[in-house]
Amino acid sequence: MTPPGTGVTTLEHQATGRTDSDAVDATLAASGDAHAFERLYRAHLGRISSLVRRMLGDEDPDDVIQDVFVRAWQKLGTFRGESAFGTWLHRLAVNVILGRRETLGIRRQRHLDGDAALETVPSRRTTPEISMDFETAMERLPDGARQVFVLHDVEGYRHEEIAEMLGLATGTSKSQLHRARMALRRHLER
Amino acid sequence: MSDQWTDRLSEYLDDELPPDERSALEQHLRHCAACGAVLADLKRIVTRARGLEDRPPERDLWPGIAARIGAGSGETQAIDLAAARRRWSFSLPQLIAAVIALMAASGGAAWLLHPAAQSSVAVRDTIPTTPVVAGGNLSARNAGDRSRIAGQSYAAAVADLERVLTQGRGRLDTTTVRVIERNLATIDSAIAQARRALAADSANVYLNSHLAETMQRKLDLLRQAAALVSSVS
Repeated sequence: MTPPGTGVTTLEHQATGRTDSDAVDATLAASGDAHAFERLYRAHLGRISSLVRRMLGDEDPDDVIQDVFVRAWQKLGTFRGESAFGTWLHRLAVNVILGRRETLGIRRQRHLDGDAALETVPSRRTTPEISMDFETAMERLPDGARQVFVLHDVEGYRHEEIAEMLGLATGTSKSQLHRARMALRRHLER
Repeated sequence: MSDQWTDRLSEYLDDELPPDERSALEQHLRHCAACGAVLADLKRIVTRARGLEDRPPERDLWPGIAARIGAGSGETQAIDLAAARRRWSFSLPQLIAAVIALMAASGGAAWLLHPAAQSSVAVRDTIPTTPVVAGGNLSARNAGDRSRIAGQSYAAAVADLERVLTQGRGRLDTTTVRVIERNLATIDSAIAQARRALAADSANVYLNSHLAETMQRKLDLLRQAAALVSSVS
């Protein structure tokens, strides 16, 4: 097991009083401590798992979740503590997910898909659990609209950030978001 | 239902319309019930999206990850941090007790028996279960004994970690050593400053908490440094 870094920056934060447990564990993990990395994994698994599942739709998320954490381990030496560890990990996860989408051949062209896909979503009446129904409706959105909706409305990214991540114009990100919201509205009002 | 404004409702909701268009849309919303209904639905969708709960995968993925990062074969390289934390773990009340003991050594232990400190709401709120500092259940002698023990434990833990660091500093790169030493010097300076202030105002709850937190910070830094030494051994 090769230690990916020294974690000097986090030690600097220690002296200034930023003693959050993630930063400590990130430092230890960067110096090769797998136990510390497992704590980070368990602390952030829920959010990363949900992000992967919502972004990938029907794809099996487990492999991608594993890829995210393996990549995080490899990249820990680049974590400078300029943002919270969770923010850093989340952005890395988005990159891994987008890379996987490329591998799967889900290209930008899909952002131009029609929104007829949502017509196949079962209505609220067939699924008693409303939040799960909402998740199901999200999964059935056209890929491009779903990506933008998840990143903007669920994860809180700005259109400029989304446009950069997805390689789109900002205006396209905005129009995809509106499209996704209107499609969800049509589903949820059934 | 659709009109020229329908496609602008998301931008309006996200406050991304230019001021003139925003005003025009608001004017439109005053008499267009259909657009108002769509806008209300979009708000509900955004609220639901923001309120979605995270869900972990159905099976534990750690074994697969551990295998891929080589954690199985490298476990012996990593310091047993859990054990280290158990050994060197101090709660805030314990640290304040340590502060009292260390203050006693420099003649500032009057705070322990000071009525204002013992009845302080701030102290009770911070450490509600700490008879050593806040309660009246223990005798001053017992409290003094506990303070002394905590002080000794803290000093022993710091000495232990400093020994690990001294012995292992040659294995760390010079930049890391420089950062650790600079930070330790900063913390030691803060501890000394807090002690000087407490010598003049031993009942000051803030100063006592600040000193305890700074001492904890020193312990945390030393623990990290020791872990770094261990990881490169």
